[in-house]
Amino acid sequence: MFAAALLRSKAFVWIVLVLPGLWPAWPLFVRQDPSALTDPLKFILLHYGFVACVLLATVLTFSPLRVLFPRWDIALALNRHRRLVGVSSFAYALLHFSVQVLYVYDGGFETLAKEIRKPFQLTGLAALLILLVLTITSVNALIRRMGARRWKNLHRLVYVAALLAAYHQADARKTFPLQVVWIFGPVLLLQIARVWKQRRGTPARAVPTPGA
Amino acid sequence: MLIRTPKDWELPESAVTPERDYALRPRPFSPRREFLRTLGAGAAGLAASSLLPRSLRATTAGFPTRVNLDYRDPALVPTAYDYITSYNNFYEFGTGKADPKPNANKGWKTEPWTVELTGLIRNKVKIDANDLVMKMGGAEQRVYRFRCVEAWSMVIPWDGFPLSKLIAFADPLPEAKYVTFTTFLDPKNAPGQRGSALDWPYLEGLRLDEANHDLAFMATGIYGKPIPNQNGAPLRLVVPWKYGFKYGKSIVKIDFVAREPRNTWKVMASHEYGFYANVNPTVDHPRWSQASERVIGAGGLLGQRQRTLMFNGYEKQVAGLYAGMDLRRFY
Repeated sequence: MFAAALLRSKAFVWIVLVLPGLWPAWPLFVRQDPSALTDPLKFILLHYGFVACVLLATVLTFSPLRVLFPRWDIALALNRHRRLVGVSSFAYALLHFSVQVLYVYDGGFETLAKEIRKPFQLTGLAALLILLVLTITSVNALIRRMGARRWKNLHRLVYVAALLAAYHQADARKTFPLQVVWIFGPVLLLQIARVWKQRRGTPARAVPTPGA
Repeated sequence: MLIRTPKDWELPESAVTPERDYALRPRPFSPRREFLRTLGAGAAGLAASSLLPRSLRATTAGFPTRVNLDYRDPALVPTAYDYITSYNNFYEFGTGKADPKPNANKGWKTEPWTVELTGLIRNKVKIDANDLVMKMGGAEQRVYRFRCVEAWSMVIPWDGFPLSKLIAFADPLPEAKYVTFTTFLDPKNAPGQRGSALDWPYLEGLRLDEANHDLAFMATGIYGKPIPNQNGAPLRLVVPWKYGFKYGKSIVKIDFVAREPRNTWKVMASHEYGFYANVNPTVDHPRWSQASERVIGAGGLLGQRQRTLMFNGYEKQVAGLYAGMDLRRFY
């Protein structure tokens, strides 16, 4: 199938992951959209944060999709790119954080230091740090050295990162965070379905297969 | 020998604003576009629109407006018209900053517009917005700083009339201590009001002495043009020493009451938004600092951030209203 073949290609996935990083150039330079130009840095800040969240949610759908639809070629293709998509989520989160430092800089770092202590921003920072640890430990050599079990346990922290990111994103709003629901809602449903299927499908086994 | 002591209001010759600075020079919208022309186009448009029958005009009474030089600090560089009119918080038309501009101009009519003055006053009336402007003696232009609670700021040339004139016209009874401003309710034409982002209609309030302050203003225009729908046409409260959410938009009712009224954002999240909402760099929002602010449309791609001033730079004029009050408690 063509879609699956395309999704298997690393080059294609790379392009898909890099494009959102370049997107702000379109409203800022080509369309010169006043609502983006009012505060370009804020536009970039929000955009990168959004992309980081979407990618984090996306990568968390891969293994449940494989468990739920083990013969679906697209699910299998996607699972080849778990590391790449996960690391790119970190890359966008890091960009988002760097832009935030620039954004808040007002001649000193006092405001930044004050803001980072607030739960809204602290949760975002904690999620970023988790993604940093997971990215560092995604190097092949380290995976081998840590051993599969320890590596897997450590990488379950990604769920904590997702929860923190969802809180951070929801708290950035003044009203009901609908966007957060449609970004992280599907992940939650898929994960529940996955756990349900694994529980039901493996009654004889003492230890269910960890899917993470 | 007589030694003359200058009075504190006597300014040296060097402090006189050069005449060229009287003219508004908005911040350019982009390096390639100079928005002075919006002024010219606006003036020409108004001259033409005054020839139209009233039913075809926007709320244009009082235009062209006189510039009130007492309220024009030459150090303030007005934000470009396109920014002021495309970056709006007007949840009645969507929660995104870019939503109100398209959504408020899809058939929502702001002319004719009736506003009701009611409550503890002698002159209870329902009056057409244009007639009200004429009753107030027309409109004048003032340049004010604008500070949003989200830590961004603009400089806006508002056209309109002092709120104190409206209060004098309403003729409050001695029991009236507060003023409530109610925004329109029209879910058919305001998509945001069909959802429950906020508790509609939007309510705002002021203490009567705040409302009577010289700086409190009722805007009917921006940059010498009738105020666009997305900015709160045809009548918008302007209280420059307070955060932007106090500026009730598209007002249909002004109610004089005895007790402190509810205001929408305080009802939604009282730990984040209070009744007073005075700009105060020392009192943080629970989620961010208010010590500094982003200057909209300034500083190119990286933008610009500046320190926030106490009472948004109007401390000298308004601090007296809050003497003895704990501003940390009454935020």
